[in-house]
Amino acid sequence: MLELADVHSYYGNIRALRGLSLSVERGEIVTLIGANGAGKTTTLRTILGLVRPRRGHVSFNGQRLDALATDRIVRLGIAQSPEGRHIFPRMSVLENLELGAFARPDRDGIAHDLERVFSLFPRLRERIAQKGGTLSGGEQQMLAISRALMARPGLLLLDEPSMGLSPILVETIFRIIEDINRQGTTILLVEQNARMALRVAHRGYVIQTGRVVLHDTAAALMRSDLVRKTYLGEK
Amino acid sequence: MTPARIVLVVALLAYPFVDRALGLQTVHAVSDGMIYMLLALGLNIVVGYAGLLDLGYAAFFAIGAYAMGLLNSPVLGSPLYGHAWSFWLCIWVAAAVSALLGLVIGAPTLRVRGDYLAIITLGFGEIIPVAIRNLGDVTIEIGGWRPIERLNLTGGENGVNPVGRPYLPGVPFETDPIPWYFLILVIGALSVWAMSRLHDSRLGRAWMAIREDETAADCTGVNPVSTKLLAFALGASFSGFAGSVYAAKLQAITPGAFEFQVSIMLLCMVVLGGAGSIRGVILGAMLITIFDRVVLSQTTFLVRWIGRATGVSALASIDLTLWRWFFFGLGLVLVMLLRPQGLAGRRVRPMATEDASDEPAVPELSAPPRLEAVPEWLKARAAAGVDGSDAALDVQGLTKSFGGVVALNAVDLVVPRGAIIGLIGPNGAGKTTFFNVVTGLVRPDAGRITFAGRSLVGLRPNAVVARGIARTFQSIRLFPLMSVLDNVLVGEHCRLASTVAGAVLRPPAVMAEERRARERARALLAFVGLDGKDDDLARNLPYGDQRRLEIARALATEPRLLLLDEPTAGMNPRETDTLTDLIGLLRRELSLSILLIEHDMEVVMGISDRVTVLDYGTRIAEGTPAEIQRHPRVIEAYLGTGYEAEAAGRSAPR
Repeated sequence: MLELADVHSYYGNIRALRGLSLSVERGEIVTLIGANGAGKTTTLRTILGLVRPRRGHVSFNGQRLDALATDRIVRLGIAQSPEGRHIFPRMSVLENLELGAFARPDRDGIAHDLERVFSLFPRLRERIAQKGGTLSGGEQQMLAISRALMARPGLLLLDEPSMGLSPILVETIFRIIEDINRQGTTILLVEQNARMALRVAHRGYVIQTGRVVLHDTAAALMRSDLVRKTYLGEK
Repeated sequence: MTPARIVLVVALLAYPFVDRALGLQTVHAVSDGMIYMLLALGLNIVVGYAGLLDLGYAAFFAIGAYAMGLLNSPVLGSPLYGHAWSFWLCIWVAAAVSALLGLVIGAPTLRVRGDYLAIITLGFGEIIPVAIRNLGDVTIEIGGWRPIERLNLTGGENGVNPVGRPYLPGVPFETDPIPWYFLILVIGALSVWAMSRLHDSRLGRAWMAIREDETAADCTGVNPVSTKLLAFALGASFSGFAGSVYAAKLQAITPGAFEFQVSIMLLCMVVLGGAGSIRGVILGAMLITIFDRVVLSQTTFLVRWIGRATGVSALASIDLTLWRWFFFGLGLVLVMLLRPQGLAGRRVRPMATEDASDEPAVPELSAPPRLEAVPEWLKARAAAGVDGSDAALDVQGLTKSFGGVVALNAVDLVVPRGAIIGLIGPNGAGKTTFFNVVTGLVRPDAGRITFAGRSLVGLRPNAVVARGIARTFQSIRLFPLMSVLDNVLVGEHCRLASTVAGAVLRPPAVMAEERRARERARALLAFVGLDGKDDDLARNLPYGDQRRLEIARALATEPRLLLLDEPTAGMNPRETDTLTDLIGLLRRELSLSILLIEHDMEVVMGISDRVTVLDYGTRIAEGTPAEIQRHPRVIEAYLGTGYEAEAAGRSAPR
């Protein structure tokens, strides 16, 4: 469904991705694991066209993405919940969510999905008229994920969805990720909480300094020494 | 002195004589250009250093010029007529008057930023020329009685003409442009010298911190009110010098010389060259002046010549100087598109470190904190802090609501000296609001906050920092375009004493203080594992390093209580472990009290002495970590039933 082949991306002169290749099949949850600065977020930004690869190519359902504008890519069915949330601070919770569905024509479907995110995150319904910027950090995280869901994407990119969430919400978030996936959304998940990520994912890639150093099924990665020592914090 | 500098000085000194020998007669124009350069440099303090957009800077230019004109050559009808002051006195009066008006215009703008500030300064820039025009003929009539009739304060539309010239025995200011050139050169050189020293001082760092993030600066101990006022006052004082010399040199001033376009042109010089960089602003001012005075007129001749040669009459009669604003705008648009930081602006990304095909086998983590290296000075400070006053935070009945939402509802919380207290709760429970109230960012509706026996309620954040409370932010708030070292030095701001005069003159006491401050900052950076990164821009650090830099900056304020807002968010287990060790060490070695908001239960339950739980702004539980983990309401609202299983799963493989 999604394919990155030998992708090299730069920030200015800094090489952030050095020949990264990965693929995501329809219906999967795939997780990217790596230290801060390894290139996980850059990978997501490259998929969305926010960073242009200098070499290599990115394709989605057989269509090349690396020359398309970001809004076109989103219309193809890829949505992201970005790290650091990036909600619209001066717009209400409802307006934020409606903007998530900006590219969709189906009014009924939008109304239905609005109900769906409110049932996933009842807290957002309580804050429906509040300005996004006045929400607490965790609430903004819920809003960012919900906004991405409102696009009803075929592929959902989640960047650190558990960051800043209470333990009970972390569990909820991962349960929701599995739910969304069961309902047919393919998910590419970037997480610091590698334990939880590997628990819900089917497959995973370990990224170091801009390339893939290990990829396998989630269960196998859980057993690998590298992952256990470096990313699961086992001693 | 470097060879390049010697060449520059010789060139500047020799230039007017070379000009005379060659008969070029450009000294007048160059001197005028230097006055505009000085103005742009003054504006750079406000816009480039402190980040306050000023659209009416020409008003200060006018004030300087008129202070000179009216005192040195009072107009007919003015009360001062017949009592002229010396030029040499007037330039200082002009600078002082400008600085004073800088304070006056600065004061109402303290609460506003960005667009609003720009609009206010725009208004000020419009008011001054109008006031000057109208003060040329003042009549006050009260029911037929005229206490003041046709009083001429400013010369109105005609301005002041002539303005007296400076007098120095044997120096021909009346007939020769060269003395003017040297006078302006001396003033300009002294100004550049003073500005560059201000830039690299405690005050300069405070300006840049305000520019980068005013809230974070306030919470790091920088008083935004006095810092911004100083920017306005000092920025204005340089235009006072420039204006007064301009008036005396031109010998005639009219309100028309200080209109909006002048403000915009000065702003363009700053932005084109690179706001914040003295070299950049000088370059910008030179380019714009040369373009305006030389390139356009010379190109006009060229185009006309081509027009005549080819017989195209449209070209033969063209006057490109009429198009100056067109070319000007076009050039500016191009520079902003191609080099938004300005021609000489600081590069915001590091230079290429083109790989060398480095292939580290393990992920490139930065050096871990050198925990053995707790800076000695910090230890000494901590020991000195044990003065019997028990540095405990005592919060009682703290209440705050935003509109209808109750963020904090009668919350009690005590942090004893040397304790680590965890503050947990569901998202939106009011934890960060609690931090914001304690640190003075938000005023409480009710409740008491005392620290070391004194109330904190009503103090501004920088005053809270001075009392010994430092914080970090949930979403990291560094000063992104300042160096790593400078970020930490801003933390020391409230413990340093140097003033404006100290920053410029650098007496030994200030030099020693600055040297000590740098040593301390480097020791702190080594402690958190960031040594060797002094000159990196904060924004170029990886995420985990940014978190640690924020902690180093907080420690630089010499706190006795540290508030950490989700310090391990976004960190992997290894980084989290190091940070946990660091927190424990701060308590053990420095007897620091720590209040910790954190969602990583392994961290909170591992190092907290006691834990307070908030839900919907209300304290629902307080106790030891063991008690909290069993508390049914906490499990229901926060931990979740899966928590125990998760905790068990985590400890099993060990």
